[in-house]
Amino acid sequence: MTAFRFHFVLVAVLITCFAISASAQKAPTFKQPVLLTSAGQSADVTMASTLLKKAKIEALAKPLAQPADLKGIHTLIVVAGFSSKGLGAAGISREDEMNRVTTLLEAAKKAKIPVLTMHLGGAARRGSQSDDFNKVAAEAAAYLLIVKQGDEDSFFSSIAQEKKIPIEVVDKIAGAVAPLQSVIP
Amino acid sequence: MSHRPVFRSLVHTAAALIAAAALLSAQTQTGTSQVAVGTTSAVATAHPLATKAALTMLAKGGNAVDAAVAAAFAIGVVEPDGSGLGGGGGMLIFLGPEKKSLYINYYQRAGERLEELPYDREEDRQSVRASLVPGTVAGLCGALEQFGSLPLAVVLEPAIRYAEEGFAIDATLAKIILDNFELLEKDSATSSIYLDEGFPRAEGDRLTQPALASTLRLIAQNGRAGFYEGTVAQTIVQETSQRGAVFTLDDFKNYREIVTEPVKGTYRGYDVLSAAVPQSGAAVIEALNILENVPLGELGHPTVSVESLHLMAEALRRTYADRSAYIADPLFEQFPLKGLLSKPYALERFLDINMERATPPRYRDTKPGKPEKFEKESDSRDPRDDGFLRLDLAEADGGGHTTHLVVVDRNGSMVSLTQTLGTFFGSGMTTAGVLMNNARSNFARTVQVNAARAGKQPRSSISPTILVKDGIPVLAVGSPGSARIVSTVVQLITNVVDFGMDAAQANDAPRFFCQKFEDYLYLENRYSQEIRAELEAKGHALEIYGDYDLFFGGAQMILFDPATRTYQASADPRRGGAAAAN
Repeated sequence: MTAFRFHFVLVAVLITCFAISASAQKAPTFKQPVLLTSAGQSADVTMASTLLKKAKIEALAKPLAQPADLKGIHTLIVVAGFSSKGLGAAGISREDEMNRVTTLLEAAKKAKIPVLTMHLGGAARRGSQSDDFNKVAAEAAAYLLIVKQGDEDSFFSSIAQEKKIPIEVVDKIAGAVAPLQSVIP
Repeated sequence: MSHRPVFRSLVHTAAALIAAAALLSAQTQTGTSQVAVGTTSAVATAHPLATKAALTMLAKGGNAVDAAVAAAFAIGVVEPDGSGLGGGGGMLIFLGPEKKSLYINYYQRAGERLEELPYDREEDRQSVRASLVPGTVAGLCGALEQFGSLPLAVVLEPAIRYAEEGFAIDATLAKIILDNFELLEKDSATSSIYLDEGFPRAEGDRLTQPALASTLRLIAQNGRAGFYEGTVAQTIVQETSQRGAVFTLDDFKNYREIVTEPVKGTYRGYDVLSAAVPQSGAAVIEALNILENVPLGELGHPTVSVESLHLMAEALRRTYADRSAYIADPLFEQFPLKGLLSKPYALERFLDINMERATPPRYRDTKPGKPEKFEKESDSRDPRDDGFLRLDLAEADGGGHTTHLVVVDRNGSMVSLTQTLGTFFGSGMTTAGVLMNNARSNFARTVQVNAARAGKQPRSSISPTILVKDGIPVLAVGSPGSARIVSTVVQLITNVVDFGMDAAQANDAPRFFCQKFEDYLYLENRYSQEIRAELEAKGHALEIYGDYDLFFGGAQMILFDPATRTYQASADPRRGGAAAAN
C-alpha cells in the first residue's frame, strides 16, 4: 500500500512537472493580417475559419496557400490534419500536399512570419496519415493550440517541450476562441 | 521504507504500458478484422449496436429477415451518416428452407414533380433539392410483412431505444462528422444533433435523436403509413418545400418497394445472386465473368502478382464503362441486360484487355462494349442444369455513403443488405428527425439512359451479393463506398473463391479501385513498392491511400465453410463494425 502511494505520488509529480514545463513557455502575440491554411487538407480548416470569426479575427483562408500568398501577411495559421477526401477534392496527392506545406513553412520562416499551428480534429486527425502533417506543422510553430483529444498521448506536448514552443490545450473545439483572442489581440 | 519494491512496481507498470501500447499499435497497423465464428447463425454490421439488435431478434426466435430489418433500422440511428429512414437500399434474401432467392429494391425514387425543379448538379448536390422519395421504411416494412416472423414494434425497439437514449459516438462517426462539418452546420435541425456549440461532436460524446425516436415510434404503431402518410409525410413535404424541394404527399403515399428476382450469374461453379437493376449487381457479375477467363488463383493475389492486379483493374474499368452506358431503371429504359451478363460477351471484353499495357492509356477513354449482339445468347448460365435458381433473366426486370449488413439464421436463410443516403449525411437536411437523402446525384449529368425523370430510380452502385454452392448459400457480401462498391465486392469474392481466403483475410486484404471516370488506379498503402513500380511500368497512374482506408468501402461478409460447417462473420476493419455468431 505504501509502495503504491509512493508510486502514485511520484507519477503525479512527474505529470505536474511535465505539464508545468510544457506550458512554461510564454504565449507570443501575433499580428494581423492573418493567412489561414491547411496541412493535410482536412475540413478542419473550415472550423478554424469559424473559430476566427467568433474571435473577431479577420483571416484570409487559403487551404492551398502558396509562398506568394504570404506577401503582406504577419501571421500564418496552419490547421493540421489529413483527409483523403480533402485531398481528392483538391485534386492533389499526399506528396503534393506535403511539398506544399513544407515549402510554405520554409517561406514563412525566411520571411520571419510566425506560425500558429492548430490541431482541432482530436483522435480523428491522428494516426499515420495525419501525424506526418501534424509533426511538420507543429515543429514549425511559434504557438500550438490543440484540442485535448488529439494530445492524449502527449504527441503535441512532447513536441512543445522539446522545441520549447508554448502550447495551449483546450478541452473542446469551441474552447479555442478565447486563446485565439488572447494571442491575436 | 525500501525503494526496491517500488522500483520493481514502476518497472512492471512501465512494461505493462509499453506492452499495451505495442498491442494497440500492432492492432492499428494490421487493422485486425472484427471476426466471429459460429455454427448456427451469424451477423455482421457496421456498428456493434446494430449487430446487437440483430442478435436480439435471433434470440427472440426471429429469422434472418427479422434480424436484418432490426439491424437496418438500428444502423440508420447509430451510423446516421450512411443510411436511415430518409434513404433507400436493396435487400437480397435467400430463403434457406425454400431454396429461393429474391431482391427487394427500395432505393429512392424521383417524385412526380421532379422535372419542374431547377437543379444545378454542383450547387444543389448536397441539398434537399437533390432528395428523392425515401424507400427505407417501405422496403424494411415490406420485407418484414412478407418474410419476417416478429411484429414490427418488436423489430423497431432497438432503433427507438438508441435514438431516444443515445449512444457514444465511435471513432468512425467522429471522423465523418468532422469531414462533413460544412454540410452539417447548414441546417439547424441537423447541426443540433451533430454539433456542440457550433462544432463537431467528438468520439465518446453522446448522440441522441429524440425527433427520430418519435418518427420511429409512429412507424412502430402504424407501419409504413406512419412514415408515408400522416404527420411525418406532411412535415417532410412541407419543410423540404420551404427549402426548394417539390415533393407531394402522393409521392410518399404511392412509394412502393419492388420485390423481384436478383440478377444471376455464375463464377467458377458458384451461383452468383446480386442486386437487380438499376442497382449494380449486373456489373459485379460482368466483372466476374471477364475474370473467369483466366485462372486468377494461379496468377496469385493482386498484392503479389502485378498480372492479377492489372487484369482485374482492366476488367473493372471496362465493366464500369458498360455500367455507365447501359444500366438504368428498367421501368423506363430498355438495355441489353442479358448481353451484359453473358459469358461470350465477357470473353469479348476479356480479349480486349492487353496484359502488357493499360489500354487505352487514359481510363476515361475506356469505351463501353457492344452487349446488344449477345442479348439473345442463352449461355449466361452455368452448364449444369439442375433447375436450381436459374430463372429467366427477363423475369428479373419485373421490377456511395452507405452501409452494408449480412445475416444468416439457423434455417440457412441469408440476407445481404445495402442501404444509403447517397453521400455521407445525404442532403444534410433533417426534417421530422429524418435526414433526407441526396440520391438525385446518381442520375446522369447528360441525357442518356440514366437521365432524371419523374418516377424513375437513378442507377446506384449498391451490390448486395450472395454466392450459392450446391443449393447452400456460402457467402453474403457487400459494401458501401459509392463507385468503389462494385470493385470492392468483386475483390472480396475473388479473395474467397480464387485465393482461398477466409472471411477475415478477405476483408483485411489490401484493396484497389479504378474506373472509367478517373485516371488513377487507387491503391491502399499496403501494396509493395515492387507492385507499384510494375503497375506504373504498365502505364497505370497510381494514387496511394491509407493502409486501411474508408475510401475503399466498409464491407461486411459471412462465409460458410462446408468442411467445418461453420459461419465466419467479418466486419470491415476500415469501419467500426462488429461481427457476431452463435
